[in-house]
Amino acid sequence: MRTLARILTTFATALLVDAVILIVSGRSPIAVYGLLWQQAFGSTSAFADTLLNATPLIFTGVATALAFQAGVFNVGVEGSMYMGAFAAAWVAFTLTTLPWWVLIPLAFLGSAVAGLLWALLPAVLKAYLQVDEVVTTLLLNYVAIDITAYLVTYPFLAPGAANSMSVPIASQAELPRLVASSQLNAGFLVAVAVAIVAAWLIRRSVLGFEIRSLGQNPWFARTMGIPLARTIVAAMCVSGLIGGLGGATQVLGVNYRFVQGFSPGYGFDGITVALMANNNPIGAIVGAVLIGALRNGGTTMQLFTNIPLDLVNVLQAIVILLVTVNVGFRIRSRGWRRKQEAKTAS
Amino acid sequence: MTSGISVQGISKAFGPVQALDVVDFDLAQGEIHALVGENGAGKTTLMRILDGLIQPDQGSIEVAGTPVHIPDPQAASRLGIGMVHQRFQLHPSLTVLENVVLGAEPQRYGLFGRRRARERVSELAERHGFEIDPDLPVAALPVGVRQRVEILKVLHRGADYLIFDEPTSVLTPQEAQSLFGVIRSLKADGKSIVYISHKIWEVLEISDRISVLRRGRNAGGLLTSEATSEAIADRMVGHEVPPLRRAKNAESGAIGLEAKDLAVKDDRGIVTVRGVSLQVHEGEIVGMAGVEGNGQRELVEALAGLRSPVSGTVRLGGADVTSLELYERRRRGLALIPEDRDREGVCGSFSIAENLLGNRYREAPYAVAGSLRARPLRELSKDLIERYGIRAEGPSAPVGNLSGGNVQKVVVARELSTHPSVVLAVHPSRGIDIGAMRAVHQELLNLASEGSAVLLVSGDLDEIFALSDRILTIFEGAITGELSATEASREQVGRLMLGGRRQAA
Amino acid sequence: MLLNVLASTLDSATPLLFAAMGGIIAQQAGMLNIGIEGMMLAGAFGGVLVSYLTGSVPLALLGAMGTAMLVGLIFDFFVVTLRANLIVVGLAINILAVGATGYILPVAFNVQGAFAPPGLRGLGAVPMGWLAGVPVLGRLLEGHTVLVYLSWISVFVTALVLRHTVWGIRVRAVGEDPEAARASGIPVKSIQYGAILMCAAIAGLAGAQLSLGELTLFNKAMTGGRGFIALAAFFFGGFRPSGTAVACFVFGFFEALQYRVQQIGIPPQLIETLPYISVVLALASMQIVRAWRRRRATNAQ
Repeated sequence: MRTLARILTTFATALLVDAVILIVSGRSPIAVYGLLWQQAFGSTSAFADTLLNATPLIFTGVATALAFQAGVFNVGVEGSMYMGAFAAAWVAFTLTTLPWWVLIPLAFLGSAVAGLLWALLPAVLKAYLQVDEVVTTLLLNYVAIDITAYLVTYPFLAPGAANSMSVPIASQAELPRLVASSQLNAGFLVAVAVAIVAAWLIRRSVLGFEIRSLGQNPWFARTMGIPLARTIVAAMCVSGLIGGLGGATQVLGVNYRFVQGFSPGYGFDGITVALMANNNPIGAIVGAVLIGALRNGGTTMQLFTNIPLDLVNVLQAIVILLVTVNVGFRIRSRGWRRKQEAKTAS
Repeated sequence: MTSGISVQGISKAFGPVQALDVVDFDLAQGEIHALVGENGAGKTTLMRILDGLIQPDQGSIEVAGTPVHIPDPQAASRLGIGMVHQRFQLHPSLTVLENVVLGAEPQRYGLFGRRRARERVSELAERHGFEIDPDLPVAALPVGVRQRVEILKVLHRGADYLIFDEPTSVLTPQEAQSLFGVIRSLKADGKSIVYISHKIWEVLEISDRISVLRRGRNAGGLLTSEATSEAIADRMVGHEVPPLRRAKNAESGAIGLEAKDLAVKDDRGIVTVRGVSLQVHEGEIVGMAGVEGNGQRELVEALAGLRSPVSGTVRLGGADVTSLELYERRRRGLALIPEDRDREGVCGSFSIAENLLGNRYREAPYAVAGSLRARPLRELSKDLIERYGIRAEGPSAPVGNLSGGNVQKVVVARELSTHPSVVLAVHPSRGIDIGAMRAVHQELLNLASEGSAVLLVSGDLDEIFALSDRILTIFEGAITGELSATEASREQVGRLMLGGRRQAA
Repeated sequence: MLLNVLASTLDSATPLLFAAMGGIIAQQAGMLNIGIEGMMLAGAFGGVLVSYLTGSVPLALLGAMGTAMLVGLIFDFFVVTLRANLIVVGLAINILAVGATGYILPVAFNVQGAFAPPGLRGLGAVPMGWLAGVPVLGRLLEGHTVLVYLSWISVFVTALVLRHTVWGIRVRAVGEDPEAARASGIPVKSIQYGAILMCAAIAGLAGAQLSLGELTLFNKAMTGGRGFIALAAFFFGGFRPSGTAVACFVFGFFEALQYRVQQIGIPPQLIETLPYISVVLALASMQIVRAWRRRRATNAQ
């Protein structure tokens, strides 16, 4: 519950700062925010669209949060998402004769494996060679984006397509819609389910205990006999797996094919969500809905007024900055106290 | 010319701990004055006050006859005080000359005066009889030479009073002799030197005068020419009568823990445990007495399975476990009360329950099919909290909020409640209140009487004498003595653990 | 054709060189600056803006540096003063730069998409007519902006500053061990502030090359990940100007190649992955070598 309060207060502060920006550029924050609210939550279809926008963010947020809980700074969820998306698309447009109740799970399975494998390399590099994971995961994102772009521009390009995209997936693989007036689909339910499973994993499972110990105090983990390298790899693999599932959901639920560059930064948004939620998977759902609301509202807002969507980007950046300061203070005060005590011990 | 430093009535408390209690100290001009004491005696605290890193609660400092106030190391530097730290404050990727002049660099229009720096370093080095290549990166230098760089740093800023904090803790015997040469040269140059150490033989060799601190108070001063190692050890450890010991239980004779010829390297690659062999029988408490930093940490880690020894074997209950990791050794009945309670013993952000879980987290009934069961854990926690008298709000309270004593009780509860057959306890009562300490000690005694083999590693002679059946002393990585607790005296043990036996020169 | 590619390489390498040199300075001060991309973008924006408003190229360059430094100040404030996590702040800065520039353009100038006011004064090419006759060099050195040459100089300047100025040595000390540096009386926070500001200023020049160089326009996506490639470059180059410069030229070559290989039939996307993959491989091999060396040393004893 403290997490919820944190999410909301950070968000509110960011809104305040953004309000100042709006006033400076000659607009009324009340009007703009009112519009945003309406576009995001004002009607069933609007709310459904918000949840639609939130879906990929739940995946990337939870994926990132799990890695962060282990103290691993995985910023490569975007890459896992791309690989997972392509894998799911490939399954769904290749094995077209399978019935939906085999094809859909198979596609998800393929995406999970792809996402996991993509995260495996930086995981092993960090666990056994102490290669910094930030740089490797960050750069591998772009490699994933490029590789999949290549795949749908050349070998898997849909014949006759103007843009780089694959052939459509088999129609039985399309995820069912939840609401008539929106593209919101069953993927959202998958996302929530994954978040719940992740929450169980982190809180109640043996692996979760190992991950949390490693993240909170690696020396303690070592004294308890927890295998550090294996835990790092496990955390990263789960993280990649979830990212992959997120990619599958986009393919099977929204685009119905693999499109080059389909993600406008879901992976990075996932980092925002994870930070806001203090790495709590259930909190990530809330965070994802908030950011999803922003994006949805912002997109529509851009269509009807001439306020650019970039305002949302600015808001998001401010949220991130505020959140890390928050976290920074907490870590600093704890570490500081300890350092003072350590000094006195000599 | 300069004259001396005089420190009077200095007191300093850190929370409830009185680190220094109305301490006097003076340094006469041109002398080498040794400051000795055990760990926690207050030597480093006193010197940090002189170096401006800490402020005293009470007392006065005079330099060259003038009362001064030293708010930070830069002020100390201006007064001519320079400290050669135990842990070097060097930058390995920078060269010697860059390190030496850092912060007081010769420069012209922002450009670094490399030539002038080089000359300065060469000049200073030559003056004190050692050679050093100013352009080598410090990373390429062995530890003994790095210390020279620290000394040059201090000299570059014009220090007249040099403080050496346990300088030989990282040196080989030859390097130590070399260092003494440098120190004598500094004295000949008119510098005044404070030499902090717990090694009696060194102090007898290098100093003119010796002051002893014990538990934050002055414990006597001697002229080196009149001092003996017994006299020094006496003052360092005191004459207190050890408290009554428990009734000795019959030992089974079986060996619970055995180490043969263990040699272990520390993180820097230096061999800090040199061919140690020891045995702890079931039902026996062996106390290993030694000042911190003589290889105990690496020895314990090797015994526990956290560090691979360079050579030698470890046996638990007769079986060779040298290649097994900590987790496996725990499965075979090993328990560890680690040295750094807050960092290694507990996870502050976890609840008491989760900390009590410890090594059992993979086993039934606490974990079933990969999932942790809350109820068995809660019951275990409630039971342990009551049994060990842990004062807290409840099993879900975060451990970080507990007092030191209670944190240690959590550690002890976790480690000892599994009825381990071998216990490694390192400084178990450091920094905790008397009540908690008694409770911890009683637990260890109970365990021993139930047949566990306990190895107690500590620098606190009260603790050693309160618990041990047999006492081993460790100094510079080797066992220097083995005594039966009933026959040994504090003075004997103190002397052995402070290197009382004279080193071959 | 190779000559054309090489000539383009010089152009492509320029923003990378600037960004990487800036990154090295920040890195030596102990701060991995993920936000170089955002600083570049800010510089590109500032350069175009000032050129538009004043029509003066020198002022535009100052404007580029200044705008980037403003972003650097935000980074400094959050990382150095507020002690926030520098990776996250860097990422936030990137998002902020995109968002801010994307917001200001339509709002202040009523522009959608790219900002390309007619007659925008760009850097212009440095006339190399006197080399026209020379066989290889002539083609190689024609049509470059002044920043291209400046970027080469920046490599030497960076090396010089880090090695031979007092400030540079202090930066390295702070980056290696801030506590020890503080004990030597060095104002750690000032140095960190300064290092990031310098990094930002140079990154701003990188941005100016993008927006005022060959093309004269601003588009909020114009940095195109170059900030991260610069990051890859200085990792590859072991944080040293010399090795990094080589990496920048190699990566610039890849970029120049990209535009041309489509005609040959090699997919440009795969070429694009080369810089990133090479860095990951380089990092992995560095650690392998290090571990192997350590094992040898232990066995030898």
